[in-house]
Amino acid sequence: MINRESGVFQTSYQGDMAVYPLPLAKIALGLTLAALLLVPLGLAGNDHLLSILNTIALASIGAIGLNILNGYTGQISLGQGAFMAVGGYTAAILSARYGMPFWFGILAGGSMAALVGALFGIPSLRIKGLYLAVATLAAQLIIEWTINHVPWIGGGAQSSIYVDSPRLLGFVFNTELRRYYLILVFFLLAYFGAQNLVRSRVGRAFIAIRDRDVAAEIIGVNIFKYKLLAFAVSSFYAGVAGALWTYYLRIANYENFTLAVSVEYLTMVIIGGLGSVLGSVLGAIFIKLLPIALDLTVISIAKNVFGISYENVANFLANFQLLVFGALIILFLIVEPEGLARLWENVKRYFRLWPYSY
Amino acid sequence: MAFFLDLITNGLLVGLMYSLVAVGFVLIYKATSIMNFAQGDLVMFAGYIAAVMLGLKGMPIWLMVILLCAGMVLLGFVLERGILRPMVGQPLVSVIMVTIGLSFVLQGLVTIIWGGSTRELPLPVRVAPYTLGPALISPINLVAALIALLFLLAFGLFFTRSRLGVAMRAVADDQQASMIVGIRVSRVFALSWAIAGLAAAAGGIIWGNMLGVDRLLALVGLKVFPVVILGGLDSIGGAIVGGLIMGAVESVASGYLDPYVGGGTKDFIPYVLMILVLFIKPHGFFGHETIERV
Amino acid sequence: MQRWRGFRGLVMAGLMLGMLGSPALADEIVIGGQCDRTGPTQNVGTKLCPGVFDYVKLVNKNGGIKGHTLKYIEVENAYKTDRGVEAYERLKRDGAVVMLDYGTPIVYALTPRHLEDKIPGLTPGFGRADSTDGKRFPYIFPVAASYWSQMGAAMHHMKAKGGVKKGSKVAFLFYDNPAGREPLNIFKRICEMEGYECRDFAVPPPGVEMSSQVLDITRRMQPEWVVTHLFGKAPSISIKELRKNAFPLEKVVSLVWGAGEEDMQVAGWDTAQGYLGMQFAGVGRDFPVIQEIMKMYQDEKQEVPEHVGSVYYNRGVLVSALIAEGVRLAIEQEGLPMTGEKMQKSFERIKDFTLGGFLPPLTVTPNDHEGGGWVRLYQTKGEKLVPFTDWFQGYRDIVLDEVKKAEKAEEKKP
Repeated sequence: MINRESGVFQTSYQGDMAVYPLPLAKIALGLTLAALLLVPLGLAGNDHLLSILNTIALASIGAIGLNILNGYTGQISLGQGAFMAVGGYTAAILSARYGMPFWFGILAGGSMAALVGALFGIPSLRIKGLYLAVATLAAQLIIEWTINHVPWIGGGAQSSIYVDSPRLLGFVFNTELRRYYLILVFFLLAYFGAQNLVRSRVGRAFIAIRDRDVAAEIIGVNIFKYKLLAFAVSSFYAGVAGALWTYYLRIANYENFTLAVSVEYLTMVIIGGLGSVLGSVLGAIFIKLLPIALDLTVISIAKNVFGISYENVANFLANFQLLVFGALIILFLIVEPEGLARLWENVKRYFRLWPYSY
Repeated sequence: MAFFLDLITNGLLVGLMYSLVAVGFVLIYKATSIMNFAQGDLVMFAGYIAAVMLGLKGMPIWLMVILLCAGMVLLGFVLERGILRPMVGQPLVSVIMVTIGLSFVLQGLVTIIWGGSTRELPLPVRVAPYTLGPALISPINLVAALIALLFLLAFGLFFTRSRLGVAMRAVADDQQASMIVGIRVSRVFALSWAIAGLAAAAGGIIWGNMLGVDRLLALVGLKVFPVVILGGLDSIGGAIVGGLIMGAVESVASGYLDPYVGGGTKDFIPYVLMILVLFIKPHGFFGHETIERV
Repeated sequence: MQRWRGFRGLVMAGLMLGMLGSPALADEIVIGGQCDRTGPTQNVGTKLCPGVFDYVKLVNKNGGIKGHTLKYIEVENAYKTDRGVEAYERLKRDGAVVMLDYGTPIVYALTPRHLEDKIPGLTPGFGRADSTDGKRFPYIFPVAASYWSQMGAAMHHMKAKGGVKKGSKVAFLFYDNPAGREPLNIFKRICEMEGYECRDFAVPPPGVEMSSQVLDITRRMQPEWVVTHLFGKAPSISIKELRKNAFPLEKVVSLVWGAGEEDMQVAGWDTAQGYLGMQFAGVGRDFPVIQEIMKMYQDEKQEVPEHVGSVYYNRGVLVSALIAEGVRLAIEQEGLPMTGEKMQKSFERIKDFTLGGFLPPLTVTPNDHEGGGWVRLYQTKGEKLVPFTDWFQGYRDIVLDEVKKAEKAEEKKP
């Protein structure tokens, strides 16, 4: 009854192909956008919560990129962290050394990452599956080594470059709240860009490659071009995310983009749901929020319910969180292997017929 | 020249130890088509059990080895039953993710149970080297290589001569046909995980002694990937050859290239080599060429 | 289903309480700290952080500082930068006026925030070597020898007591990440100045494989001395590898993070005999402050934990004591309520602080946030570390010059 489709008739091709055809969906979208824009204003003083939101938003952009490659094109990639590093350092070099404004840095970071991503995507023409995953692992390590050892790129012995807060026409983004809005703009662009991409011709080619690449080639999809394009687009997203991280932290440091980060993004995408843009965001929220939530919950339960103070069990608690994290991932995948997006679909499907059951 | 010899011998010995861990990975993949990203963590877990047991007073080494092997075999069975059985038929990526989750669980578990400090795993082998002319031979490296070699030979014999081994190879080849012939596929799955646990036990003892036992021991699992790719994901012989090549190349390359590029080549040279090999042979040296059907 | 409800309720309640944070009592002074107990340096964190807690407990037991209790909140960062940032923001929300940072990459990321929010951060024995310059980094306090000073001291010892002279060969084995590479410039400069033949050898992270580097050092180069700068598991592996190749450990000096008892223990005490490790705090239980902590445990009828008196634990006590000293000076000279700015001023007034011989006389000035860069060498004998030298500095002029150079390099950027 709530998610009703009856009574909604489309009278044009445009309406039929719209991303959100139902009026309910349109209303929900509008409310969500309004919430995204207005709620943080109420949180203005709470830097802690805003920093968490910022982290989630940044992670989502990277996760969406990885989902395009992994979920829609079926190429497993373990190099997302490295491509983010490429974007981050490009932006840092341009801003810190040549004084370019931040929007230029972000675009350039994304483009550079796209180039590098396409380069490391070339092996995908011959190699598939786990072999490809390990080839992308090679990308991760090679890029890390390059940044570390080439001073022109890495900025010297410390392999990190400081940048100033981004500024636009005299307006400086130097509080968490302002940075939030900056990141929000890019997040929305990334999200809706991806939604449109996967429903376009290019997106259909990606899905064809994922499902049956030999058949796709037979019907005329140029596999070479589209695979490289998938790598390039995914790395563009990664580069933009990396550049934004650099501007957010005001430092480009490759240690923020290690293999562990790549694995983290892979986790986000898989838990969130492969082949779903919304899934990437949900996965990012889940993975980024979980350690913090565990941290806060377990410690406060321990203190208030059991009276155990932090220092006595600090070692235990920290590792307990890691264990719970891993166990939740396993449990989650056993229960719903297709991720959070599928769970959300199930919820929507339920409400389609509610309060009737069939 | 002496330097080169040193590097090569050292590299080959280390390579054998890589092979040991890689064999565990390949075993599971061959039988069940699951890529076990937690192999390194199994090695770490075995290392912890070994270190803790050796720490108990009066524990003779042979008893520790027997108990450790039994324990790891049991762990393999439990993991297969509890975690991997429900994931049969799920998409590949989800299964990989489950093994990654498993690695987090194992890492958190060992630290909770046994604390965060690094433990030693003392073996009754002396560390100081024997001099043999211009060459220095380190007894611990030799012993480690010997243990690895023994295990690998044992595996080889098992797979070629024993009934169970042949059954495993049959399942790896064609599951449906094996079921028709009467092989209990689920038992083979469990067995493959158990043997992988055994390989992890051997790896745990050796690597635990070389590196000290703590959570970072799981990182040897990372080295597994270039080795199995080089050798072919489903070939045990390939794992051995791949390990030897990797070890040798790593050692020699970093010994000669490092001074020119400021160090650190050891990390990515194996991967560069691997990519080059993959271009020529997309399934590794001895991997099974899959024929795709539309 | 019923029992799930209770469980869920508990979890939600916990989350709510956690989000609200714990407001400080009017009399309390809040100190924030981060720790790595689950990440790559957990073998340090699991000992260093209890040291901080124990000293704070001791202070509060003795009536606090001028009647005010210290409240120490620790947040785990697992050596990850984004968690470090979240931890910083959380500690800031809970009212911390000074913070103990943990982990060089996290220090790099938090430096701009410390400056903006005017909250001092302590980075003892790690962090940025150029943060010695208090004019450039007013809110970052290394308060212990930076990597540059440690390298200078190591080179000084080699010359003064190690018999190294012009033409001698010296090797530098280091962990290949920014923190590990930091002392490289000092190493090269001193080598050039003194006419040594030097080579540096990088060990790629995670630092578990260095056999070819050590082979290169011991068989090809055959230096007189080796300086090592490794973290995590790498130091113990380096000890074993050097020994495997018959290199005398008496000619090996390790900078501060490779000199913990655990590193020797994992390598094997017999293997590690003679190894020289650099420390910036006293080692062992023979110091009044450690004795007091032990007494505190005994008074509470608890067993003294094994790690009390160990290398990393004592470093935790050191930084905690420095914070307490800063708070004391701040209350005396600036008065309450406590703010980050007052703490910053009072840190710069610390003079001749030795804590009963636990430290060298530490004097922090606006130009020198390091306190002089004093270190001491301990040698592994039997199953203990025994003092090998007294407190000393080395090549201070070169270190300070590099600090100035770093300042000029930054000014050149547009």
